[in-house]
Amino acid sequence: MVQPASKLLRLLGASALILMVAVALNFIVDPLQIFRPARLFAAMYSQDSRMQNAGLIRSQDFDTVFMGTSLAIHFRQSDIDRLLGVMSLKLSMTGSNSREQSFVLTAALERHPKRIVWQIDDWIFHDAPDIDSDVYFPSDLYRRNARGIAGYLLSGAMARESAWILARSIPPIAPMVARWTTEELFKFPVSSVDDINTLRPGSDLSEAYNAKKTVAAFRRITDPVRSSYLAVDYKYDAMVRAFERDAVDLIAKNPDVKFDIYFPPYSILQFVAMRDASPATLKIVYEFSAYALPRLVQFPNVSLHDFRDAKQITHDLDNYGDVIHHSPVIDLKVLSDLAARNHVVDCAAPTASLERLKAQVEAYRVDDIER
Amino acid sequence: MLFNSYPFIFLFLPLVLIGYFAMGRFGNLVPVIWLALASLAFYSVSNWQFVLLLLASVTFNYVIGLLLISGRLGSRPRFAVLTIGVAVDLLVLGTFKYAGFLAANLNALLSTGLTLDIVLPVGISFYTFTQIAFLVDAYRGNVARYALPHYALFVTYFPHLIAGPILHHKDMIPQFERAEAKRPNAHLILCGVIIFAIGLFKKTCLADGIQPLVAPAFGANSPSFDQAWIGALAYTFQLYFDFSGYSDMAIGISLMFGIFLPLNFNSPYQATSIIDFWRRWHMTLSQFLRDYLYIPLGGNRRGRVLRYVNLMVTMALGGLWHGAAWTFVIWGALHGLYLCINHAWNNYGPGIAPRFERAANIAALLLTFLSVVVAWVFFRADSLPSALYVLSRMADPTQIVFGRAEIVGTAFILGYAAIAWFAPNTQTIMGYDHKARVVGEALGAWQRRPLFLYATAAVLAFGILGIQQHSEFIYFRF
Repeated sequence: MVQPASKLLRLLGASALILMVAVALNFIVDPLQIFRPARLFAAMYSQDSRMQNAGLIRSQDFDTVFMGTSLAIHFRQSDIDRLLGVMSLKLSMTGSNSREQSFVLTAALERHPKRIVWQIDDWIFHDAPDIDSDVYFPSDLYRRNARGIAGYLLSGAMARESAWILARSIPPIAPMVARWTTEELFKFPVSSVDDINTLRPGSDLSEAYNAKKTVAAFRRITDPVRSSYLAVDYKYDAMVRAFERDAVDLIAKNPDVKFDIYFPPYSILQFVAMRDASPATLKIVYEFSAYALPRLVQFPNVSLHDFRDAKQITHDLDNYGDVIHHSPVIDLKVLSDLAARNHVVDCAAPTASLERLKAQVEAYRVDDIER
Repeated sequence: MLFNSYPFIFLFLPLVLIGYFAMGRFGNLVPVIWLALASLAFYSVSNWQFVLLLLASVTFNYVIGLLLISGRLGSRPRFAVLTIGVAVDLLVLGTFKYAGFLAANLNALLSTGLTLDIVLPVGISFYTFTQIAFLVDAYRGNVARYALPHYALFVTYFPHLIAGPILHHKDMIPQFERAEAKRPNAHLILCGVIIFAIGLFKKTCLADGIQPLVAPAFGANSPSFDQAWIGALAYTFQLYFDFSGYSDMAIGISLMFGIFLPLNFNSPYQATSIIDFWRRWHMTLSQFLRDYLYIPLGGNRRGRVLRYVNLMVTMALGGLWHGAAWTFVIWGALHGLYLCINHAWNNYGPGIAPRFERAANIAALLLTFLSVVVAWVFFRADSLPSALYVLSRMADPTQIVFGRAEIVGTAFILGYAAIAWFAPNTQTIMGYDHKARVVGEALGAWQRRPLFLYATAAVLAFGILGIQQHSEFIYFRF
């Protein structure tokens, strides 16, 4: 008769053994390339950039960091390199706030890049939780402290990915495993760093980005049921506070790094939606811009670009998948315009682009979009 | 501190267990004090600013309880003391939980400009209800005199403090007083570890695993018909596995200390009526609402019409207990309405011929499940318009996406439904009988089935491997 105490020990021992196997698997395969660049197994990458960036910062060579939100997520590093003449690392994170971006940039700055290209939205500056209270952000993994490493090694989800990457490296079954590696089932489906968070090759751009979708999104966000979302996170004082803490402070602390900061070309409907459904929010956007633009141009290591008044882009609704997200065609245009400094903000008149935007928003008639 | 965290599993729990049994050598009281202090430490890790409030609440209710038990007061003063005790409890709960809600409604109605942003102390709803029940029972003469350490432990006992089960003093304090509970019992520890493992697995692998399917339906985007259904169903299962996982963990942890906690879930989605559902879902809350709200309101003793009114009031208040928002009130009222319809059907509906009984049961199960899913939409949504919007999408089959993500989502939903409908629940697997204080009677048979033990070891390991950086239990916010 096996006594309960003995059964208990067997149970705990067997559990510990399974945990050790998972830890060993994660350590050897190292899907995020936290401990070493991939050599034994083919490198695979995740679209979860908050997690993936922790590994990219350590495993990639770069002299330029590309940061932003979903507005900057589809850019290809190869395009950035070609058009800006740099060796870039894209660290954009969908829905990220300024705390997260500043934290990731600080981690990347430890690798001493020369330049940061930073796509900025006004809504990223808000009362975001402290980085360690941010449930979506593995801050300890970036710090590589005991808690971060333990969380990485003891992660069952990561062990599953490790096993999958391992299976993908076994020649007889590799093709079959590769065929099954889809984003819906696995977190590391991308085999080239250039493809992280880019559109699939052969995607129908006209299907994904067209005026019909843009107008539908406009109707949706101005619907009285949902229009309150327009005002979420827009509080002027909190925005200024976050801007000073996360952007200005970082720029001031790194005078040797060149910051190319740009406000992206949202469709004009983004501002028109605010004008019609949430005018108080639009007022905050204007006030914040009036504060941020002059503040940023003060720094000698900052080149500021404002695309929001780029009428030839923002008024062509076929460029968008909703009211803010532009197509990869515009990605390339943004990059070439950054290189040519076509939308650079004049230090002598830092709010000139804002005034032009205000005039465009005021002049825009919603009836126009029906035609 | 979260049960599903490395510090709790690898540090706090082993230390408190070792300390508890080590203190057993020094008598019957010292382990109780140790456990009460450990519970306060557990609470203070993430809620240190509210420890004093918790202690004040315990002391206040203990003193009021003593007055009610003492027998020195006449009937009117006793009633006055009870009224003061319950009123203060409700006032504290109301201030922290409902003042902001009240201010927001007044602001909406009268444009007062008044806004209150009060942080909700975690667990306040649970420890307030626990103590109100104690005071009412003391007033009714159903309470023996308890020592302060035992009473303090009854309220603060860390396995239940944050999110229940809602405990009853008559059930718990005698267990804390038992000397045998202070000696390590390998059988109970083993069963506790297994139940904890099942709960941890439910939380970290099942509830957290399906959580990503919920957000697309309830966020700012416009879900299609299939996305809205996937979101609503995913939330239905997420909530169940999250809360029942927490309850299993609480029961398992407590069992390691030799203390049996009451069951909170009994396969609720297998219910074949709403009455049946509420006998299986959050059972300790249902019992509390029945004993301390529905029956004092008159229950079913004053005719059918008043019975329905009492049901509606009880369920609407039960909804409000979950959170200070109209969505919760509507959720509760909707369940009240369901219960009224269910009782009316039982009274006036046709009987079912025996040959149709099986088909009728399946239909009843599906109808009950569907009704519960619809109600959960209100429970989950940020606002009433948002809930109605999701429901409108669920009722509009003209927009269907059903791409790869939706196919995978549907497969997940079917898997979860199979577990919820067909898998045995934790107490069945473990033979856990709270009233008889029996668990794991079939454990001896495991010698012939070592696979069970190793499967359990895998469940524990996968539960630990599933721990994410920070994943709170949904019921923490109530």
